[in-house]
Amino acid sequence: MSETTGELLGEDGVDGRVLRVFRDVLGDEELQLSETTTAKDVPGWDSLAHVNIMFSLESEFGVQFTDAQMTSFADVGELRRFLASAAG
Amino acid sequence: MQHVEAADEQAGRSQDPVARALATVSGEQVPTQRACLDLARALSGAGDAGRAVRWAFASIDAGEDFAGWLAASRLWQRHRDDVPRPARRARVAVLGSYTTTQLTGLLPLACARAGVDVEVYECGYGLYRQELLDPSSGLHAFDPDVVVLAVDAAEVDLPQLADDPEAAVEAELGRWTSLWDLARERFGARVVQHGVVVPPDEPLGHLAARVPGSRSALLRRLQERMGEVAASEAGRGVALVDCERLASDVGKRVWSDPRYVHAAKQAVSLACVPLLARHTAAVLAAQLGASRKCLVLDLDNTLWGGVLGEVGVHGIALGAGAAGEAFSAFQRHVLALKDKGVVLAVCSKNDEHLVREAFEQNPEMLLSLDDVAVLRASWQDKPTAVRGIAAALGIGEDALVFVDDNPAEREAVRELAPAVDVVPLPAEPAGYVAALSRYPFFETDALTAEDAARTAQYRARAQVAEQRESAGSLEDFLRGLDMRAEVAPLGPENVARVAQLLGKTNQFNLTTRRHSLADVESFAADPAWHAQVVRLRDRFADHGVVGVLLARRAGAVLEVDSWLMSCRVIGRTLEDEMFGVLVRQARAAGCTRLRGTYVPTAKNGQVAGLYERLGFTRDESADGAAGEGATGWVLEVPEEAATPGLVAVQVDVAAGTGPRGARGLQQDGDEVPAQRRQEQEVSR
Repeated sequence: MSETTGELLGEDGVDGRVLRVFRDVLGDEELQLSETTTAKDVPGWDSLAHVNIMFSLESEFGVQFTDAQMTSFADVGELRRFLASAAG
Repeated sequence: MQHVEAADEQAGRSQDPVARALATVSGEQVPTQRACLDLARALSGAGDAGRAVRWAFASIDAGEDFAGWLAASRLWQRHRDDVPRPARRARVAVLGSYTTTQLTGLLPLACARAGVDVEVYECGYGLYRQELLDPSSGLHAFDPDVVVLAVDAAEVDLPQLADDPEAAVEAELGRWTSLWDLARERFGARVVQHGVVVPPDEPLGHLAARVPGSRSALLRRLQERMGEVAASEAGRGVALVDCERLASDVGKRVWSDPRYVHAAKQAVSLACVPLLARHTAAVLAAQLGASRKCLVLDLDNTLWGGVLGEVGVHGIALGAGAAGEAFSAFQRHVLALKDKGVVLAVCSKNDEHLVREAFEQNPEMLLSLDDVAVLRASWQDKPTAVRGIAAALGIGEDALVFVDDNPAEREAVRELAPAVDVVPLPAEPAGYVAALSRYPFFETDALTAEDAARTAQYRARAQVAEQRESAGSLEDFLRGLDMRAEVAPLGPENVARVAQLLGKTNQFNLTTRRHSLADVESFAADPAWHAQVVRLRDRFADHGVVGVLLARRAGAVLEVDSWLMSCRVIGRTLEDEMFGVLVRQARAAGCTRLRGTYVPTAKNGQVAGLYERLGFTRDESADGAAGEGATGWVLEVPEEAATPGLVAVQVDVAAGTGPRGARGLQQDGDEVPAQRRQEQEVSR
């Protein structure tokens, strides 16, 4: 399990939906994410998994990331704020 | 962290997770992919591997959400060794022109769902030609049974505009068929070729439809030629996945998203990879003979609108009106499936005679009873009825697909006949055709002339099976009765009962001659008369004297004057045993010929064919001698009569004698004991 510091994502609302996607795609039902989690903190979050995650988030939230966003989110916190505003 | 999670779990979810997930699934007309997956997860957590896998399969039937498929795939992988593996197995190599990792990853799940256990190999993307040619490649080491050529239009080497379209297409076709040849020659593998999807972007616009050299036209032509070759002898072992149709169904801009093509070489959008995996698996399974054979249809609100028992034969919605049209369209689709070889069966909670009336008398019905191989209309529970259909057809339950509008019936079949596939119908009948059409496992590898006739063949088979089944169960029933018959001659102790039976028996009575007690007493004293007075016992009751046969000897002919049985023992093969005794009596009396007469009455129609069934031939010279409509029958006395042997017969008629005690004329001992018993157990 990765080192997670900062506020953990909850099980409900936008956070819950983000968590669900990450758990489905990475196949880890115990996975926890925090504001500061990045790809290198999570086993299995490689470039292929990244494509799978980004696509699955797009389809879950009905959004389309820009080409830049596909690779530019600094951490889970930034991703989550974008999705929250897009879903809001 | 573990304990925090556990606490969350308890705070938020007090109920049993399986019960909660099941309630969600049951509450939906068509359970969503998510709800099925949640149930699968709950079952997995509860340790119920078999049902967890079934619901994981149901989840991927229910939708194409990519993350949901990934989750289902992991869940299935986790329990793969806990459930029986399909008998059909294959080593499948995916050779792709784009990033096929996700497709390859989902293929084992999709194939397991289709009834094939597969191991997969993914070749480096764009390296398929090299891997096929290089004997030291990983592909050669893997030695596949099936090669999936997962390619996209970008990989097709055809120009935007060709001067000689025919030559261009043939050259490109040759490049692909050479790959098929390699796969077949090197590995003896079957080939599943993904067809070309014509991109929606065409610089020539609508003009392309008129220019055979346009890239759109070339791609279409290539696809057509691939189909022609695959259908020919040269294409043996090659099947195509019609990706053009799949892409058209979901929309071509959904099928391929340029952002992912450019960023990640995903020529097929991840939104469509599950769909492609499902159909690749269906085609592959069909090649290996794992497709489903029989469509089991509900009637009320499935094949027609309304409840037949309430609205009547002419009240059901069919044909005219929006609702009626939707059901008619569904029937047309079902008939088209039948024409390609799918066997049709009906499973309905209804009165059978009413169902038959609806099929025969409602002019809007497109399906006829002849289209239906097995019709089960009764009040039996559906899982049992569905299993009965499989048994009647002589096919496995895993060849059946059950279609019903009622979620409760579908769940019952899912739970109690788990090998049967269940197709949920949406709330609106207008969606029925799409729901069934998207079900992929009626895929067939080839179309033959026999396909269209298959329902007729299965129908005949089912009828034979049902006869055998009923004969079998009837035989078992009768054998289980432990019947014992005692055959006695006429005597003081039974003449009254014989006269009574002669006077009142109507149904099983060949001549209905109402001989009086005095007559019967005179027969008893006359050596020319040979009688059987039959008493029957079984393990439930002693039925008393229930059968009488009176025959009169004239020279070498033994003529049956009267033959009757009480109606309570009809249908127990007792008459066959009485015939067996009659033959022995005739032989013992030195007779060579038996004569019988049937005199029709208003009530004895059931024995009109008795003599014919027993092997007698019609003697028209004797017709009418015993009254109007009477028929005469003769039989050369055989060595012995073969009888069903379901009744143990104890014969107490001294063969060849009329009155009790006297032996036949050819017998040498006049002093042979009067009540000599011939005890004989006749049983098989």
